[in-house]
Amino acid sequence: MTYDFKALMDFFPYFLPAAWLTIVVSFFGIVLGVVLGLLTAFARISSKPVFNLPARFYIFVIRGTPLLLQILFLYYSLRGIFNFEAMTSAIVALGVHNGAYIAEIFRGAIQSIAVGQMEAARSLGMTYRKAILRIVLPQAFKRAIPSLGNQFIIALKDSSLASAITIKELLLKAQQLGASNFKMMEMLTIAAFFYLFYTSIFTWLFHKIEVKLSASGNA
Amino acid sequence: MITIKELEKWFDQLHVLKGIDLTVNPSEVVVIIGASGSGKSTLLRCINFLEEFQKGEIVIEGKVINQQDEKMINEMRSRVGMVFQHFNLFPHMSVLQNVIEGPIQVKGMAQEEAVKMGRCYLDEVGLLDKEDAYPSMLSGGQKQRVAIARALAMEPLAILFDEPTSALDPELVGEVLSVMKNLARDGMTMVIVTHEMGFAREVADRVVYMDEGLIVEQGTPQQVFDSPQKERTQSFLSRVR
Repeated sequence: MTYDFKALMDFFPYFLPAAWLTIVVSFFGIVLGVVLGLLTAFARISSKPVFNLPARFYIFVIRGTPLLLQILFLYYSLRGIFNFEAMTSAIVALGVHNGAYIAEIFRGAIQSIAVGQMEAARSLGMTYRKAILRIVLPQAFKRAIPSLGNQFIIALKDSSLASAITIKELLLKAQQLGASNFKMMEMLTIAAFFYLFYTSIFTWLFHKIEVKLSASGNA
Repeated sequence: MITIKELEKWFDQLHVLKGIDLTVNPSEVVVIIGASGSGKSTLLRCINFLEEFQKGEIVIEGKVINQQDEKMINEMRSRVGMVFQHFNLFPHMSVLQNVIEGPIQVKGMAQEEAVKMGRCYLDEVGLLDKEDAYPSMLSGGQKQRVAIARALAMEPLAILFDEPTSALDPELVGEVLSVMKNLARDGMTMVIVTHEMGFAREVADRVVYMDEGLIVEQGTPQQVFDSPQKERTQSFLSRVR
């Protein structure tokens, strides 16, 4: 078996629609994950059981089961109930999955902000809400950025699992092409190239943000 | 101005304040001294409702403050400043932003007016040239002076100081104390928890000695420092001198 370098170039254009799909699934999955994560983080921190118990349960279930299972589970259940397309199911599954992890990232960041910050804000007469929004969250976001960057990269790669529910993203595309042209290694290489390209962009972007934020001063 | 009546507080089983009565008059400087664990910081934090208490009441300007009433507490806090041992400046904001955050967010003051006033108070603590600096770029003494300017910018009736120089290097204590002396001279009502006995003697109108959750003795600095009546006060003072 020989490795066909020429095939890398020849088949590259066939991957472009799949490369786009990977972006779409990942992007919306991450956005949904951040929204769910932020809400869940606050629910989890709350002292009221009505908020923190569902949040704990959500995190418990998501962290304790494989993403592939979650994708399949949501695909079959959402399809039955809402007549969702595979694409929507994939985005919802990725979002719900990442929401649990991002919630823990935000929770850790918020709780790492010294109690004194909240006390100083409250001693000025600020409401709890205002103190959270103006004083705690901006600092927590800054602290969460490295972990968030890491989680976004994981989410991007995890979008490949959407292949299990017929989403023709990079991995499924590579498998389908490879099965028909018998150049599986080459097709997987092309997919790998796209993943590396995307994750490099993320890494670079988050590095930029970190540098910029640390320049604006922090204790 | 501030009246504390029969205040009692427990941390679970631990009885930390065992019935405190204290009145602070307008323009008075009350300095609370005592060993660690005597309850003096806890008392100060109760006055700002950063700690809950189980018995007694706190009256500010004739109004009994209800611990359960968030709105009332916020309103009261906006008029009683607090300076912390560890400064607690907002690290993501510049010095000037730290000072004007309260007036803008709590009092709804216009940005322009707040900036003007903020600069005025930064000038008062001698840090006008640092308005664009971030807290991480300042020395401890400078940080504490910004924290004092932040409290002043709310134009409070009184300021509570919780061991304001305890976290400072010895050579930086003086600059903070001198700012506080100026405030005292200008008639600011202050309640100060401190271990700086020389400072207490110099600025206090009244010194309060606390031990094991009780006020043991109080009086003018001369009375408390030079001729303490209670044995516990005498023994504490002989240890800190």
